[in-house]
Order: sequence, then C-alpha cells, then structure tokens
Amino acid sequence: MSSNAEVGPDSRAQALVTSYMRAGYLRLEPPVLQPAEPFLDLSGEDIRRRMFLTADPDGRELCLRPDLTIPVSRDYLASPAAGKPAGFCYLGAVFRHRDNAPAEFLQAGIESFGRPDKAAADAEMLALGLEATTQYGVGAPQIRIGDVGLFAAFIAALDLAPVWKRRLIKDFNRKSSLRHDLDQLTLAASNGSKEYQGVLAALNGSDPKAAHHLVTDLLSIAGIATVGGRSVAEIADRFLEQSALNAPTRLPRDTRALIERFLSIAGDPDDAAGELHALAADAKISLAPALDLFETRTGFLAARGVDVRAIKFATDFGRGFDYYTGFVFELHDGRSQRALVAGGRYDGLLTRLGAAEAIAAVGFAASIDELAAIGGGEADMSGGAP
Amino acid sequence: MSAPLLLAVPSKGRLQQNAEGFFARAGLALVKPRGARDYRGAIAGLDGIEIAYLSAAEITAQLAQGAAHLGVTGEDLVREMIPQSNQRVVLVTGLGFGFANVVVAVPQAWIDVRNMADLDDVATAFRLKHERKMRLATKYANLTRDFFAAHGVVDYRIVESSGATEGAPAAGTAEMIVDITTTGATLAANGLKVIEDGVILRSQANLVAARAAAWTGEQRDTARLLLDRIAAQKRAAAFSEVRTRFAGMNEKLLGIAREKFGVASPFGGPTSSGMLTLHCPPENVHALANFLRENGAEAVSVAALDYVYARDNPLYAKLATELDKRA
Repeated sequence: MSSNAEVGPDSRAQALVTSYMRAGYLRLEPPVLQPAEPFLDLSGEDIRRRMFLTADPDGRELCLRPDLTIPVSRDYLASPAAGKPAGFCYLGAVFRHRDNAPAEFLQAGIESFGRPDKAAADAEMLALGLEATTQYGVGAPQIRIGDVGLFAAFIAALDLAPVWKRRLIKDFNRKSSLRHDLDQLTLAASNGSKEYQGVLAALNGSDPKAAHHLVTDLLSIAGIATVGGRSVAEIADRFLEQSALNAPTRLPRDTRALIERFLSIAGDPDDAAGELHALAADAKISLAPALDLFETRTGFLAARGVDVRAIKFATDFGRGFDYYTGFVFELHDGRSQRALVAGGRYDGLLTRLGAAEAIAAVGFAASIDELAAIGGGEADMSGGAP
Repeated sequence: MSAPLLLAVPSKGRLQQNAEGFFARAGLALVKPRGARDYRGAIAGLDGIEIAYLSAAEITAQLAQGAAHLGVTGEDLVREMIPQSNQRVVLVTGLGFGFANVVVAVPQAWIDVRNMADLDDVATAFRLKHERKMRLATKYANLTRDFFAAHGVVDYRIVESSGATEGAPAAGTAEMIVDITTTGATLAANGLKVIEDGVILRSQANLVAARAAAWTGEQRDTARLLLDRIAAQKRAAAFSEVRTRFAGMNEKLLGIAREKFGVASPFGGPTSSGMLTLHCPPENVHALANFLRENGAEAVSVAALDYVYARDNPLYAKLATELDKRA
C-alpha cells in the first residue's frame, strides 16, 4: 500500500473530480482488473505489448485496465441507465508500458453517453478538459482539434470504389499507410491478381446475380470446402468488387489531388470551415451534415468562452485510435511531450461492446502526473475554482 | 578453474541430431561423460566448454537472459521470444538445417485473397459486416503483430494456439493462421494456402550468442577456438580442392578461372612449373576441369576438403565486434 503514496491523487486531482461531480457527472470506480478482450478488440493488437496481461484459472485473459474509457462504458451498459443519457467521471490509476515513464499512472476524466446534442456535448468536453489545466495552474494550453467525421464524409462523397473508401478510412490514423494508399491510387495498380485479370474484366458489367452464381459454382466445382468465418457469398461479392476496381472509369490523379488538398487544410476552425466549403464547391460534392456539425460545435466553443482563434484545427489530425468517429482534441504545453488532456467522440464503441442500438458517446482523460509535473506548486484550490 | 563457456544444444528430436551432426563435421564431438541421460556434456578434446542440453524454447530464453553464452536455436524462436532481439543476442551463423518459413495462411476458398493488401481489405470489410474482428490463430504473436503492422493490417485478433494451429480455421476457432511450414503440405491438407507476400520469416537453426553473458577473456578465447573450427568447416564445405600442373598455367589463365568459376587460389599463383592448387565451388568443378584441360592440363584432381583454416576468423570477428558494442 505504500506505493499508493507515490501515485496517489494529490488534492488538486481530488478537487478536479469533485468539480466534475458538481457539474453533474456521477463518479465511477471500475475494477482495476478487467477482461482483456474488449481492449484488444477495440484498440487493436498493437496495444497488447503495452498491456499487463494475466489469466484466470479458466484461461480467460485479464488485464490491468490500460484506460478507463472502456471500463466506464461497460459499467454504464451494465447499469439501469444503459441507453439513456448519462455522464460519468473518474479518477484512478491506469497501467500501460511506456517508454521512459512509469507504467502505472493516474487519469481523471469524463465519459458522456446518449446525448443527442452532439455539438454542444463536444464543446462541453473541451471546456471541462480545460478545467483540468486550470486546476493545475497551466495557463493557456495549446488546443489541437480534429474531426474524423469530416474525413469520413469527404471520402464517402468521392467517386471511388468501395475497396478504396474502406482502405482510406481505415488508414486515416496511420499517416505512412495513407500516403502509400494515395501512391497506389495514382498508379491505379490493381489490387486484383494478374492471373484473374481476364476473368475479372469479363465479369465487369455483367449481371451481378449471374456473376455471383458463377463464382459460387466455381468454388463448389473445385471442391473447395469453405472454412473459416467468411461465407461463399462474401467471397464472391468481394471477388466481383475487384472487377469494379479495375474498371477504367476513374480519374485517379484528380481524386488524389482532391484528397491531398483536403488533408492540407489546417488553421483556426473558422478559416478551415471556409476552405472546406470552397473545396466542396470546387469538387461539386457535399460535406453537409459533417461540416454543419463542425461549424455548430465551433459556435458552442465560442459560447463557452474558448478563444476559437487560438485553436489549431487540422483535417489530418487523428488520435491514432480507430474508435473515434468525430470530434477529437488534445491539450498541450511546450514543457511536456505528451498531451495533458485528450479525448473525442466515439459513437461506434458501445455497439461493439454489446449495446443493441447505437449510443452517442464522447469523453476525455487528463493525465494527472503530466499536469502535476509542469503545473505550479500545490495550491489549495478546492472549492475556489471558478 | 574459472567458469566454462556454456553452449546450449537442443536436447531432443531432429534438431538434436542435426546439431550433433553439425558439430561433428566441424571436428567437435559432443560427449556426455556421465551417460546418455545426462543433461550436461562436454566437447572431446576442447577444454573450457560445458554443454547444456535444453529444449529450443529454453535455449532461447537462456540466451535472452545471458544464462548461456552460445546456443543452437531457430531464428523463428529468437525473433518471436526476444523483444528487440538484435540488442540482446547475436546471430553468429546459420547452420544449414532446421529450415522452415513462418507464413500467413488463409482458407483456399478465399479466391479473392492473393496478397497482404487483399487480406487488409478483407479484414476491414469483415469487421464492418460482422461487428467483430477476424481471428488469427498462432503461436507467433509478436512476429505476426510486427508483420501485420508493417502491412497496415489492424482489423484482426490474435488467438493464442499452442498446437495444431493449421486446424483452427476448420475447427471454427479462427479465420486464418500464422504458422511454421516447410513444404506447405500440412497447410494444403487443411484447406489453407499461403498468401503471396505472406512469408514473415525464412528461418533456420542458428548459432546464437548472448550479449548479456559474462564473456570473460578465457570464455572469449574458448569461443574463438570453437568458431575457428566451425568457420574452417564451413569454408571447407563451400569449396572443393582442385589441383593441376601444366606449363601453360599462368596468371592470365588464373584470372579467367577466377572470373568464370569463382575459384580462389589460397596458396598463391602457379609456380614456375605451373603447379597450382585451387578452391572451387563444388557446382563448378567439372566445368573448371574441362577448362583446365582445354588449356593444356594433362591431369586435374578434385578432392573434398575437411577443413580450410585461414588467418582470419570471420565468425569470431563478427562475435567480438558485436560484443564490444555493448558499452
């Protein structure tokens, strides 16, 4: 227990979480020991090497919680409030192997579920995140924001094969992969194999139903039993999709230029919105719901007293996690390598954790040890925070 | 007596037979002075070495910790079991046995999947359609993760498998696998195929050195003797000896022979009477013999070599350079 003295929350962290509770967020304290499955499934295999894994006597994989978003989401889904609007806050240790930093560290944060007023909820999260830096006396942190939803809307509006859309969306968080994708797109190098090129070309433009039967029959003639979780129909569909991929109707060079123009848009949110409108008009595409949400959110941020001109927005800003679906943000200070506060919207996460219907979700986590390291000396701000 | 050099050797199966055969060819007879069931041994006629008989996985773990100086184990185990393996161990030399590839294999029925780019796309499509990720059965979790990350594949889950991995897709516990294969026959028998660019590692048994071991001056000297014999045997295996003598043999002909047949002349150029000893790659000896006779040789003899010792000791030089790197 003596180790708790070293990583235990200081009075400022306690005051912070108290202020979140006063703002209407119910404090949760999920178990430290969690099933590993949801983390691996949602954050990807790459997180495995940073997690502390163990197993119970039945062989189920357990882990020390590497973050609190998933534990809080699971507790919410297991509670009577599941599916209804509800907000939670937390303060506790998380466990992750990190280079040159302790693997056990404290996070305080908020998760807000089920709010239909997304723009307002997004803006509130950023404002509550700023409270954490204020609590630690870190004045005017740099605010970086992005919006995964804008990229998704933009890609959806482009004249591209489904294969390409899936890939570009997936690679948004991996910049080197994304650059590679764009190179591939211009080369128009077909993803399909050369061996099948003739067959695919012949199939292209033919009746999809007949082509589908052909592929299904070919598999059974060859006596290939289907094993694994993909059905013959899925295989046939994607095989035929490849024929569409080779169709010579694309203008890859123009599309690439458009994607690069989109990804280069950065600056303060109002200027960026202007550039996005111009891009949409030039390309004759609509970014409507996503861009509307973006502009409404900026309005809410201004209403909450955030200096919108000082916000650094970038279309290519992602947080490296695939579960974000919209607004993402980080608060930085030049004295710290890592983000002081980070969060975003993850509307798809709860269905993947078992919710029957989609539940809107947005939240953030503040790194208590980063804040304490650069913040001013411990001052008693409890109760006095504005 | 000071601490001996500890050499870890596989304790069972084909790997043990191959390792013993390899050392025997290098003139290093592994002996068990206290009987065949003993797990400690020595090398006849070479003092200062102790042999530890262990499983290949144990050998790899011991090398990672520096509990053994040298060991025989598969590169696949080194890369899988030791994080940042290049900083922990030195692969001194491949031993020419235990060849196997670590590969990505998917059901043959996936006619739309030929390469990793296809797999990437299918994995993402699968996740979007089924609201869960494709499962991959393997005992090579680390190799898989690095390889998939390099190809940008993220929508998959690893299912640890300790045996009969190739049966996992048919059993319904995984959609695809990463496993070791030599001929691919077992994979084919289970309705699986290897992806075109899905070879993660071409592995073979290696002589591996532990950076974290003590490496006293005496232990280094012992390693130098050991590696000298192995290098001499390796060099001998790479060449046949070709001897001839004829008046027309001169530097100019030797130059042509070097160029065309890759020969070396370890004892210098032809003598004044045209006497010459050449080392020639075995696959070229017949062509070389023809060439020499066309140019006037009456007789050419070809013999296998047991050992070729040279002034340099490339294997030890490599080991010493690497060991000195650790500050």
